[in-house]
Formats: sequence, C-alpha cells, structure tokens
Amino acid sequence: MTEPPVAGVAGDAAAITDFADFDELVESLGRWADSGPDWPPARRIRAEWEQVAPRLDRTRRELSRMLVVGVIGGTGTGKSTLVNALAGSEVTTASDVARPTTTAPIVVVADDVDCGWLPIDAMQGRLVRSGSPAVANIVLIDCPDPDTQADEPSTTTPHAPRPSDANRNRDMLAAVLPACDVLLLVATAQKYRSWIVARELQAFAPGRPLLFVQTHASRDPDIREDWRRELESQGFAVPRIFRLDALEAAQRAAAGLAAEPGFQELLTAIDEELVGRAARRVRRTGALDLTGWFVGQAQSQLGPLREPVAGLAAGVARERTRLEGILAAAIESKLQTNRTAWQRLLTDEVVDRWHGGPFAMFLHTVAAIGSFWTRLRPGGGLIGQLLAGHAPEYVAGRGSWQAVEELGLSEADVEQSRSILAGLAGRAKIAEPLVGRARLDDTQAGETVGTLLERTGRWLASGIERLVSARRGRVDGPLLRWTFEILFTSLIVIVLGRAGWNYFYGHLWEGRRVDGSGFLQESFVWIILWGLVLRWLLFAWVRLGLHRDITALTERLPPARLIDPLINDFATAAEATQGYLKAGDQFAGDVRSLTARLDDSASGLGRMRP
Amino acid sequence: MAELCSYLEALEPLARPLGVPDPTDSEWHGALFGKLKPQIDREPLLVAAVCGGTNTGKSLIANALVGSEISRSVPEAARTRHPVVSLPCGLAGRVDLAALFPGFTPRLWSGEDDALDPTEANVLVWREDAGGEQPRRLVLLDTPDIDGTLLDNWRRAELIRNACDVIVAVLTQQKYNDATVRDFFAAAAAAGKTMIVVFNMVEWPAQRPVLAGWLRTFSLETGAQPAAVYAAPFDREAAGSGRIEFHAIPELTPDGAAIDLRRRLADCDFERIKLASMEGAFRVVIDPTSGAGSWLDAFEAAAGQWRVARQQLADESRVRVEMPSAPREIVWNEIWAWLEPRRSGFDLTVSRAYHLAGKGVKWAARRVGLARSEEERREDFAALELAALKRALGDFIDRLDEICRGHPRLAALLGDRLVASDRTVWYADLQRRHAALPIVSDDYRSFARDKLDAFARDNPDMVRWILAGLNVGAVARPAITVGLAMAGAAAVPAAAATAGGLTTLVHHVGDVVVGGAATLAGEGALGLTVAGLKPLIESLFAGWSAERSRVLAETLHDVVFGDRLEEIDRLAAAGSRPEIARARHLLEHCARELRE
Repeated sequence: MTEPPVAGVAGDAAAITDFADFDELVESLGRWADSGPDWPPARRIRAEWEQVAPRLDRTRRELSRMLVVGVIGGTGTGKSTLVNALAGSEVTTASDVARPTTTAPIVVVADDVDCGWLPIDAMQGRLVRSGSPAVANIVLIDCPDPDTQADEPSTTTPHAPRPSDANRNRDMLAAVLPACDVLLLVATAQKYRSWIVARELQAFAPGRPLLFVQTHASRDPDIREDWRRELESQGFAVPRIFRLDALEAAQRAAAGLAAEPGFQELLTAIDEELVGRAARRVRRTGALDLTGWFVGQAQSQLGPLREPVAGLAAGVARERTRLEGILAAAIESKLQTNRTAWQRLLTDEVVDRWHGGPFAMFLHTVAAIGSFWTRLRPGGGLIGQLLAGHAPEYVAGRGSWQAVEELGLSEADVEQSRSILAGLAGRAKIAEPLVGRARLDDTQAGETVGTLLERTGRWLASGIERLVSARRGRVDGPLLRWTFEILFTSLIVIVLGRAGWNYFYGHLWEGRRVDGSGFLQESFVWIILWGLVLRWLLFAWVRLGLHRDITALTERLPPARLIDPLINDFATAAEATQGYLKAGDQFAGDVRSLTARLDDSASGLGRMRP
Repeated sequence: MAELCSYLEALEPLARPLGVPDPTDSEWHGALFGKLKPQIDREPLLVAAVCGGTNTGKSLIANALVGSEISRSVPEAARTRHPVVSLPCGLAGRVDLAALFPGFTPRLWSGEDDALDPTEANVLVWREDAGGEQPRRLVLLDTPDIDGTLLDNWRRAELIRNACDVIVAVLTQQKYNDATVRDFFAAAAAAGKTMIVVFNMVEWPAQRPVLAGWLRTFSLETGAQPAAVYAAPFDREAAGSGRIEFHAIPELTPDGAAIDLRRRLADCDFERIKLASMEGAFRVVIDPTSGAGSWLDAFEAAAGQWRVARQQLADESRVRVEMPSAPREIVWNEIWAWLEPRRSGFDLTVSRAYHLAGKGVKWAARRVGLARSEEERREDFAALELAALKRALGDFIDRLDEICRGHPRLAALLGDRLVASDRTVWYADLQRRHAALPIVSDDYRSFARDKLDAFARDNPDMVRWILAGLNVGAVARPAITVGLAMAGAAAVPAAAATAGGLTTLVHHVGDVVVGGAATLAGEGALGLTVAGLKPLIESLFAGWSAERSRVLAETLHDVVFGDRLEEIDRLAAAGSRPEIARARHLLEHCARELRE
C-alpha cells in the first residue's frame, strides 16, 4: 500500500493547534448532542449527530488517506466520458444509445493502491484499475445519475408498470456518496438548472468540497456565469467553474495527445487541491464545514423555540411568584392573627428561663393557671401546631390538598399554574416525560403536597424559632430580670415593711389596734395587680416589633423556594432546555470563529456555505 | 359540466381544513377546470403547446412553428418564465383568453423579451399572428420548462398542458428519460393529448439510428403514442440566428408520412384531436382510482373523521364541576318572594315575627363565633365556587390536550388556541366573569318565577295546600331559614336546561356542569311535609347553580375556543353537503355517456 507522501506535518504549528481546538469542539459537540433533554428538537439533533459523527470520526482517523472524488451530475451530462478522460482509457461505458448509461458505480483506482477500506460491495460498485497520472493519488467514482429514478409513486396517480420502476439510481447514489470526500459536479447547458440534481446536491454537499465542471464545451454555449449565480443562490461558494469537452479530452488522452486547456486546468486543480498535503486540508475543511452545517441545522431547529422556551422560563417565574404570594399572604395573616398562640409561646420562653425570683414565681403561677384554659383549645393545622410548640409529623408522600388549604393554596390555584405552564411548555414543544400533566394524580399530589408541607413546616419552624430566639435574647440579660424582680419585690417589701411598721411601731409602740388581715388581703390584690402590670409590660417589651418581624419573615419566603415541588417539572424542563439552547449558541459561536480562523480562502474548491 | 364545476368549487375551500389533498394539484382537477370547463362549449380551437426541459430549445422551436420570434431564445437555462401564445389572426376579439387558460392573466405581447420577465404572477403573453399564415383555429404556445429549479415554471407549464390538445414534446439525448420530464408527459398522455415528439440537438445524421431506441424508452415510460416524430439537428450557428430544421422520421411516425411539421399541425384532423383530448380529459376526471370521485371519497372520509373527532370531543371533554352547595337562603328568598303576594295576613304577621326572631338568633350565633355573617358566607362561597370553576377549566384544558394528542387534525385546528395562546388570560377571564356575576341574576329570577308559576298551574291544589299549610307551618319558617343557612350540606342538584344557547359542545359542558346527585338534605319542615315539592325545589337549586356555572361555559366558548367549535361543526358537517351527492351523480352520468 502506498500512501501519498505526508509532507510537512510539523510545518504549521498554528494550524495544528487550531485543529486540536477543532477536535475538542467536536468532542464537546458530541457530548452536547448525546446528552440533550428528552425533547423532540434535541432528539432530532441527536439523530442528525449520529449521521454526522461517524463522518467526522473517519476524517480524524483517515486524515492522510487519499481523497475519494465522486463524479456526479444529471444523466447524459458526460460523467462517464469525463471519468474515462481522467482515467486515460475507457473504464466506463459512455454512450448515447440508452439513458441512463451508468447503472453501477465505477471505482477508478491507481494500479498500485490498496483500497480495501472502500466499501465497494456495499455500494454495488465495480473496481477498475488505471495507470493514468490524473488518478494516481485519488480514487475516482463514476456515480449513477440522480435524475432518472422516479420519486416514490404517488397514490393519486397510479400507472401501468414502466421500465423505470426498476431504476434505483438515486438509491445507489445515496449508497455511494457517503464514501466520497469531494464531489465533482458535472453539468451541461441543459442540466445545470435541474431541480432534481439541485435537491440531491443539497442533501450530499454538506461537508464535501466541490469541483464544478461544465462539459460539452465544444457544443454548448458558456453558461458558467449563470450557473455560478444559480449555485450561489443555492448556498454554495463557487471560486471557479471548469469548462471542458470530456469527449475531446478522452480522445486526446487515448491518443496520447496533450490535454486541451480546459481539461488541463482541471488536471492541475486535482493535482494542487486534492493530492498530498492538500488532501489533509480538504478533509479538515470538509470536516469543519460539516460541523458548521450540523451546528447550523441544529440552530435552525432550535431557533424558533428560543422565544417559547424563554416564555416558559418567564412563566415559571411568574407562576412561582403568584403561588408564593398566595402562600405568603396566608401564612402572614395566620401568624399575625394568632395573637394568643404567640403570647403563649413567648410566655413559655420567659417562664422557662426565669426561675427563682418572686416575679418568676409569679409568672410560673400565672402560666400554670393559664395552661388549664389553653390546653382546652387544640392548635389547628400546621401553623397552629407550630405555634403551640408541637413538631408536626411529616409522612412522606402523604399530603393532601386539605392540609395545604390552611396555607392558602387550593388545588385550583396549583392547577391553574400548572395548566398555564403546560400551555407554555406545549409552545416550546416540551411535553411528557419532560413535564407532567396539569392535573396531578393522587400519588403525585400526595408526594408534592407532602414535600411542600414538610418544607413549609421546617421553614416556618425555623422562622418562628428565629423570631422567638430574638426575643429570648431580650429577656436573657440579668439587668432586665433584676429590674423586674426589684420592681415586683419592692411592692412586696413595701407591703411587708408597712405591715411590720404597723405591727411593731403602731401596735406595739403606739398601741393602736391591729387591723387584722384586711390590710394584707388588700395588699395581696395590689401585688397581683402590680404583678400583672409588670407581666404585661414585660410581654409588651418581648412582643415589641413582632408584627414587623412576621412581615419580614414572610418576605423571606421566596428564596426558600417552598412551592417549587408543585411546579418542579416545569422549572427543571425550562432550565434544561435553556441550558441546551445556550450551549448550542456557544457552539455556533465557536464554529464561526474557528471557521474564520481556518478558512482557506486560497482554495479553488467550492463549498456549501454553512 | 358547469354544474359539476360549481359543486366541486363549493367543496374546494373545505379541502385544506379537512386535511384532504388540495384538488388543484391533481390531474383530474387540471383536466376538469383547465380543459373541460373552459373549452366544452366554446369555439373549437386546437391548442398546441411546445413543452420540454430547460435549455432544450423550446422557444426556438415555437418561434419556428409560428414563423416569427415570439419568445426570445437565450443560452441561459430556465429563462422563459411565462407562456407565450400566438393566436390566429382575428381570434383575439372573439375569445376570452383568461377563461380559455384559467390561472393566467393575459397580457398583450410587446416584444420577444416579455416571456423572460421574472415577475411573480402567472402571465400569459399573447399576440395575433400578423402574417395570417397561422391556421384559423390553431393556437400555438411556447411554455416554460418542466424540470428546472424554479417550481413556478413547472406549475405554469402544467396549466398550459392541461389546456392544450396537441403537445409538441421537445426531447434531447440528455433529457428524454429524466424522471421529471417523464412525469410531465405521462400525465399528458393519460389525458389523451396528441403528442408530436421533436428530438432536438441530434447529431444528424449520425444519431438517427438510435432515435428509435430513445422513442421506445420514452413511450414505455410515459405511455405516450406520438402521432409524429421529428429530429432537429444540432446546429449551433443556425440556432444562434434563430433557424432550425426539422427532419421528419417517417419510420417512427404511425402514418408513415414525411410531412413538414408546420404543415402537419395545420392539416391535422382538428375535430378528431379535439375530441380525443376532450375524451381523455373526461377519462381523467371520472377515473375511479384517481379521478374526481376518488377525491370526493377522500373528502367524505375526512369529513367522517371530523365527525368522529367531534363526537370524541363531545364525549371526552366533559368536566364535572364540584360546585359548592348553594347558599340556601338565596333560593328560598326567591320562593318566599313568589309566595309573598299569595299569603294571608295572619301568616305574614307570624312570618315577620319569626323573621325578626330568626335575625336575633343569627345575630347571637355570629357573636359567639358559631356563624359567619351573610357577607362572609357569600365571600367564602364565592371563593369556593371560583376554585371549583378554575379546577373545571383546568380539567377541561387537560382533557383537550389529551384528545389533541391522539388526534393530529384536531391538534392542528385547536393547537394554536391551546398552545399558542396565553392561558393566563383564560383564567383571568373566568375570574372576571365570575366576579361580575350578580348573586341572583334576572335570568334566574325569571326562571324561578316561571318554574313556580308552572308548578302552580299544574298543581293548583298543591299550592293552596301549601299556602294553607304555611298558615299553620309558618311557625317553622325562621327555623328553616336559619337551619338552612347553617346546614349548607346539600350536594349540587341535577341539571336545569338554562345553560343552553351556546354551541353544542359548550352546551354539553353546561349540562354536565350541573349534572350530579340530587340529594337535597334538610330542606326543612316544608319540603318534608310536602313531598311533591321536592323536584321543584331541586330544579330551583339546580337552576341557580347552572346559572352560575354558565360563566365557565362562556369563558370556554369566547376565550378558549374562539370560533373553533363552529369550525369543527362545519368540518364535521362537510360530509353531508348536498354538493357531494350531486357531483357524484353528475360524474356517474358522464361516465355512462362516455361508455356509450
């Protein structure tokens, strides 16, 4: 096996870096395409990638293998004649007797080249050896034409069987072209605007540099300018079009004469553009174009969905805010209106903390009496339980809508949000299994509501605890406690002092009559009243700012993401699809800049613009 | 024929929404509207058109046939964008070209570049043969290509092909077996056109022997039996100066005659050719597998699918609204208001006394926190009701989504409403309508009166009995009212037909909205003592709930569906359009006549 000389590998260090960048890009593109969300456009992109990836992979593995040039064009344009001219002898039948002439692809290979890597059997091709210098360093394939096979017969117009029903030329072409690295498009004045050829070209041109050749030069007028316009309108870059007469060239080649100028140009171009070091460049450019084409396809798939996906993300944010608003309003009003529960909670705090002093004893006594009344009223719902100091029991997957109704969220509200989001998701072509249905079934409802309750419970418990602990700090200081103890004790001391004075001074000294217990009873009432006043003052101090703090607490509800379980599927889907889109944009930018850097404007080969 | 066309034309606009292939793309439509309709009762003209692929020399050949340059022949391909027609002298005043060539706007020829004008519209450039050489009834045309990248050109060529009787098929070595070229001429052959083949750009005489093979392939592929075959040699110089030479090939021509092409066209049997092309067109139209009948079949089948879809929609998109129990005093107030003028003074006095007492009881109950005020209860009720309506709306949308998933056509029709529109608006609309709902609407009031009046008419004794009973039983009334207001446990009663008036589907919604078990608990002493009153009171409750839930139906109809329900109705009903049967009848008639 003789490989074409691989020259100057170390020559261009910059180019090598760029190609390393390119390989990296292809790798991450593959990761992106393979790991897309379960979303119809992502699935299509993945399927497309599965077509493109093997080609890119092969380019990488077979970088220095000689190029395979597929000669394509409409029937009768002289493909076979041109192949014969290039091969220097009649390797394939060119005739005017029957159209189409070539029904099996002819693979022309130089005498000493091993082409075991070419799937000749799969393409039902025939191998022909040639010693012509034109094909010494390339493989030339004479492809079947695309324009004699009828489209799949439409059901509306059945017809009698025709000979062409057996014509599978286009299918055969589809089997041959994957093996081709470069396409040589042959056209004549009659065929250069053929619709079928244009259609097939669109399908096979991505990632395959092209040579354009007008044949029948001795008969037909020069249509190259018009052809160039036509090709450019189809999205091709057309640096040059060769014009030659293949028949004449074949005759001259057979006669051993020097090639006429048009044909010589083509020979030179093959030699300069497709052989040796140029082959690597052609492969690289082709791979880059293919990547660009793939990314472009992906972008055109995703483009129309950009706005709907953003709409879904905005919708998720909007519905989240709406539900959080409902939840926050309900929680706030519940917390604000439950005065007695707060009072009890804060009392418990103080009572638990203050021991030993007369005032503390007084507080304990009042609390003990009060507990008789409060124990009679059970704490209702989640908030009631939390304020009553009970830890609610969370049972995973066992939430019910009734349980959250207290939190202001009705099934109807949640369903409204989910239905709106389902509509937005539908616009972005996001459906099951990426997102669930608008109505949650009982198991789902149980789970999501259960999670919601648990989250809300924990968040509320910690919030209430924070509020309480902030107040706990206020009563912890000895100064406050001693002040109250002194204030309370002072009345007792005054009462006791007065009683002592009355007894020792008034009765024993002055000899006045003892008043009996009347004074003490009166004093007792005053002490209790004084105690209650002090207690009220204490709790007023403790409660100070509670209203504001509750509002502040509920304002901190959104960052806690409490309602997320209810619309989690939509939020996740929006995030996933947005991430996917963003990565796609990133690749598009990468490919553009890489193409701009690697663009080989000096090349005489045509390309399909990505 | 005109009748048949008018029936089919009436059905055509429905084809696309029904999902039936557009008839204008089919052969029978071209034959009927392009050939039979415009030509059946017009002056018999023979229309001959030069057709072929790009750059095969059509314009050159047409010019040669006409005898002067009507269409510019240029080296670039696909440049003839519009057909050019050359009319015999004096015909232009007698014939309406727009009717003869449907789909085209006739424009008077001003120069040979007219046909190259790349404007979008379908223009038919026409001129009269100034020399007067053209036979009196022969119309000659040059047409755009049939295989280039501009599909507009194909369409124009097809329109001309449909209208013509004779086709001059221009074939070349490169193109005689191209798939697109074959398809074009196969359709012409199927429609009974007379075909004259001109092999252009032939290496003359070197290629003469292979022409037979080319022609055989062409005939086998297209089913065409050319009436004559000519060869035009490849001669670039002659072509450049607009000259072309035709060699008759008698061995390939059925009549074996070597007649000049122009003479053959002038001398051919107009009547026979015209008849053949008319008959061919007929055959295409009445073809059982691909004719107009098959399109009608497809039309009916599609309409049938829409009927199924409508049924499915009606069956599956029903939602039950779990309406909260109605505040009972609202209905009872209506009943009392109706009874008021019929009651005795004693009864009224007692009633008023108890009314006061009842008020006192209610006030006390509120104070101790056992009862909520009427306003609060109304608010609670409204919130519950709105929640129920919203749930029903969500449920409905969910069901529609589900149905659309299984029915692509419905999805296509409803898709932009269901998916593209902003559902927030729907909910906002429902909320707005619900908020604007009066607690007792005038409609309901008159409905209740009518019901009660009808009841009184049907059961005069019963009413008297009730009234008598009320005199005694009035004692119970305050207890009933208070009791009812506090019990509030009744389920939503069964349907009342107040929710009609919308389309069928929404009407269904209205029906089912109030469909449910009719248990009316605790209607108190009155209802218990007078069993015959139960259905009446049930229907009064049901009516109230139905009246309320009508907002859902309105939102669904006005905002969610828009006009789509009417559209579905229209499509489902398309299968029973009288035009179908009439058109079928006419087609059968034609087929019979043709057989005879």
